[in-house]
Amino acid sequence: MTEPTQADQAQAAAARSDFASPSLVNRTDLILTLCIFAFCGFAWYSTTLFEEPSALFQDNIQPEFFPRIMVWTIGLLALMLPFEHRAITKRGEDIDSERRTGIPPMVYITFGVLVTLLLIAPVLGTLLTIVTAAFIIPPLWGERRIKLVVFFAILFPAAVTILFSKVLQVYFEPGLLGETVGNWVQ
Amino acid sequence: MDDMLLGLSLLADPYTLFLIVLGVLIGVTIGALPGLSSSMAVALLLPFTISLEPVPAIAMMASLYCAGTFGGSITAILINTPGAPPAAATALDGYPMAQRGEAGRALGLAAVSSVIGGIFSLIVFLFTAPLLAKVALEFRPQEYFALAIFGLSMLASISGKSSIRNLIAGAVGVLISTVGVHLTTGVERYTFGIPHLTEGIGFLPVLIGLFAMGEMLNQSQALDVVYERVKSVAIKLPSWADYMKVKGAVIRSCFIGTFIGILPAEGTTVAAIMGYNEAKRWSKNKEEFGKGALEGIAGPETANNAATGGAMVPTLALGIPGSATTAIILAALIMHGFRPGPNLVRETPEFVYAIFGAMLIANFVFLVVGLGGAKLFSRVTLIPRTILWPAVFIFSMIGSYAHGQSVFDVWVMLGSGLVGYLMLRHGFGPAPLVMGLILGQLVEENLSQAMIILDNNPLRMLESPIVVSFLILTIISLFWTPIISLLSRAKNS
Repeated sequence: MTEPTQADQAQAAAARSDFASPSLVNRTDLILTLCIFAFCGFAWYSTTLFEEPSALFQDNIQPEFFPRIMVWTIGLLALMLPFEHRAITKRGEDIDSERRTGIPPMVYITFGVLVTLLLIAPVLGTLLTIVTAAFIIPPLWGERRIKLVVFFAILFPAAVTILFSKVLQVYFEPGLLGETVGNWVQ
Repeated sequence: MDDMLLGLSLLADPYTLFLIVLGVLIGVTIGALPGLSSSMAVALLLPFTISLEPVPAIAMMASLYCAGTFGGSITAILINTPGAPPAAATALDGYPMAQRGEAGRALGLAAVSSVIGGIFSLIVFLFTAPLLAKVALEFRPQEYFALAIFGLSMLASISGKSSIRNLIAGAVGVLISTVGVHLTTGVERYTFGIPHLTEGIGFLPVLIGLFAMGEMLNQSQALDVVYERVKSVAIKLPSWADYMKVKGAVIRSCFIGTFIGILPAEGTTVAAIMGYNEAKRWSKNKEEFGKGALEGIAGPETANNAATGGAMVPTLALGIPGSATTAIILAALIMHGFRPGPNLVRETPEFVYAIFGAMLIANFVFLVVGLGGAKLFSRVTLIPRTILWPAVFIFSMIGSYAHGQSVFDVWVMLGSGLVGYLMLRHGFGPAPLVMGLILGQLVEENLSQAMIILDNNPLRMLESPIVVSFLILTIISLFWTPIISLLSRAKNS
């Protein structure tokens, strides 16, 4: 664990005082509300791009009607978000407990690895992708027992692949690499 | 009676029985693993069960649901870390008991209380589901619409820090359910020219992403957590005097848990918290609570398992999920070609009885497992998280791909995972979003039909006393917290 920096300590102290005597608006929730409004704006705008239904259906509820009701509902509920922390604090709970510190780098790295694995899946094929995942993620998360990682990276993907491909008859793409190796072996 | 016998005979197949036992074993294991919930396990099991016949598939999922709720108590008692949220209240008194060398007594009491709660709620399910379905058969689209709105409004009071966040998540789920071709007019909505979206966003990748991937990213920020465990677990069963001491708490929690379970959207966590609070309120030894009170284990454990059977009532009889896990079971029923609701109970009663039978068997199996194998199951926490979560990712990836054999679904799963993580971080639970996603179609379809019947005049819905009743209940559930605080303020002054 790294020592908290002065900035972190100041941020935590500010957050604690915020918890003890809540201000009218929670800044994080205000930003969240703005993000939700942006989402609502996009969702609303998208409803204007829906095609016109055939004249036969003019008397029915139009396709944009229900999504727009939901957009309104989300927007109206989001209006209350920045002020909600006062009621939550009164109950003795802390709405900021999970987000007081920034997102740890490991979350970004893990997500980045998962995205990369999916991006290279068409090349590696399904089996090699999950074997790669099983080899990469445990050491990334701090697993130092190499034998355990190797054991896991071979056995678990094999078991899952057998279950799905043989028992459940799911077809897995061999990927460019798999096809090339297959052709080469033939 | 014939339907019941037929339903139970469907379970007589050894393969189905094997799947029920397997479901229990997986449920207890997953339930015991901190961070892995029964909702996640059922979501991960979904791709596997899609290829099975409906009865064994749903029986396995229902068994996992029952056992997963109990499994959380093992780690709550032994390592003070609830395997699942419904077991959080159990840790308050279970762990102090384990610390003073009475882990076996606590585990035994948790297992027996869970089974009593589970069986009680199943008996209620057996009688209530057909009655409720009979009433619901009279429902027209406007009444169904009002019922679904009531179900969504109940999201305000499910567990979590914020009712507003729950409602927003539910509404976003409903909005996501509108993606794809509009059933009435055939117009594409929110498809953005992507062919994969014309049939809508699949339940499966969203469920797996929200429950499994979201939690995986959440776990990646707490890799250095070490669990403190009680060293010796002697399985010494509770004595008859122990049972006598907790009988009041058990009886109360049976009713509380079943009632909470039957309420749409409410789940095992709320039931457990209420079971604990009521056990403490009525106890003669309030001062023992938090230090290892037997009632502090019996109350929440009975209630959370009673909620499992209760939650199946609205799920099967009305098509409105009683909890997050039953929402996934509902999705499974839909994927198997069933339309849960009164017609399911009327047309295929043997199917409903088979689910009842499976859950009953599951309760007895986890009693044996809980009493005999608690020590073994507590060892699952020794599986390093550095191996467990990559395994969850692999299973999630393959599982979300398998159903449609589409890489697009895997991307949806990963995207849902990111959304799930951000939601958790900002106090939004994934369960309300899933319920919104599943109820969304029901709400829109019934609204469309009702508007056609009522000549596009929504006010005519108020001519139905059932609609008015549901709307009143909706208002009460939305404003329950302010009403209670106003009442308590008035009482204090």
